[in-house]
Amino acid sequence: MSHDHDSPKAHRPAGAGEPHAFMAHHFNTPGQQAGAAKFGMWVFLATEILMFSGLFLAYFIVRMHYPDMVLAAHEHLNKTAGGINTVVLITSSLTMALAVRAAQVGDQPAIKRNLLLTIGFAFTFMVVKYFEYTAKIEHGMLPGKFYHAWDHGYYIEGSPHIFFAVYFCMTGLHGFHVLIGIGVLTWIYLRAGKGHFGPSYYTPVENVGLYWHLVDLIWIFLFPLLYLVR
Amino acid sequence: MSDANHDEADARLFLHGKPVEGYEECHEHISPMKAYYAVFGALLVLTGLTYAVSYMSLGPASLPVAMVVAVAKASLVCMYFMHLKYDDRYHVFVFLSTIIFVGIFFTFTIFDLNSRTRLIEEQGTFFRNNYDREPPPTPEPAEGHGEGAAGHAEGEAGHAEPAGAPSAEAPPAH
Repeated sequence: MSHDHDSPKAHRPAGAGEPHAFMAHHFNTPGQQAGAAKFGMWVFLATEILMFSGLFLAYFIVRMHYPDMVLAAHEHLNKTAGGINTVVLITSSLTMALAVRAAQVGDQPAIKRNLLLTIGFAFTFMVVKYFEYTAKIEHGMLPGKFYHAWDHGYYIEGSPHIFFAVYFCMTGLHGFHVLIGIGVLTWIYLRAGKGHFGPSYYTPVENVGLYWHLVDLIWIFLFPLLYLVR
Repeated sequence: MSDANHDEADARLFLHGKPVEGYEECHEHISPMKAYYAVFGALLVLTGLTYAVSYMSLGPASLPVAMVVAVAKASLVCMYFMHLKYDDRYHVFVFLSTIIFVGIFFTFTIFDLNSRTRLIEEQGTFFRNNYDREPPPTPEPAEGHGEGAAGHAEGEAGHAEPAGAPSAEAPPAH
């Protein structure tokens, strides 16, 4: 049946329309199901971008109003930790993309290996984040009224409590997304262990991949804005 | 039913002059491993560039330059890791329209913030700055609200009440 679809003039649907065990009854074809799921994922990613855009705008407003304070306060962020986390997230994005590819070609061990690597990098990110947050909390560099860095011998001109409010909101929401990412990655890792995914059906792997790449995408902007102000 | 007839009945929709099979379906693209490693290498190089740019002391140009590098990285991730380059154009449309709305959100807010001060000055609008104001006095038990000289002298600081009344008096000096 699938040989009929090999004509070069026609676009080829995903999985070449082969039936699979996870086909929902309200779809006509597996390709239609995959297309609907992916479209839904993109709409969700759109709402995620809009949610983060509010925080990015808050950052730009703070930076516009207090350029010197943002410059002074950002010096207290750990650039090395931020840089390591950037490389960790980019590498996790690569392993995630390779996991999706492995599912497309049906390489079962590679799916599991790459998903496991991605989960490992996600945990690495959170561990680095934990040490960063611990240092900030110990130095009293906390958002808003909780800011008390002067008790610990740090004096930053202006209103650094605003910068740290923005810092904790942005990295906090991003870190929360990483935690959710660990959850859904674990879920598809377990399903991959049962051999659910292959060339005819890999929608969950692909959609979790899209989510994970978005988390990476947001960090790509967060890192230079928060850690490398000039 | 012959094959030719079957094809003709199936191809109800045409895209770029070619019949599309399963137009509502998802179309996959399998990139070679080399492409993924190349994109990964480019992302690492661009991360190094972000780092370098922040130490170059470009002054006011540093933020635009850092953002250009970030957009380049984001484009690589979107096009190759998220497969937007080979994907249904409609997903590109969803993504780009989101970016357009973020742009509208940013532009109008920044525009408002930048032009607000001048407009306020032109119109002579007075905003009460609660931060610099003395806290309103606790209402004392009324003992004949005499408009006498003694009451008036004391009332300078605490005359903010009643709050609703449009008082013409100037704000307390900062």
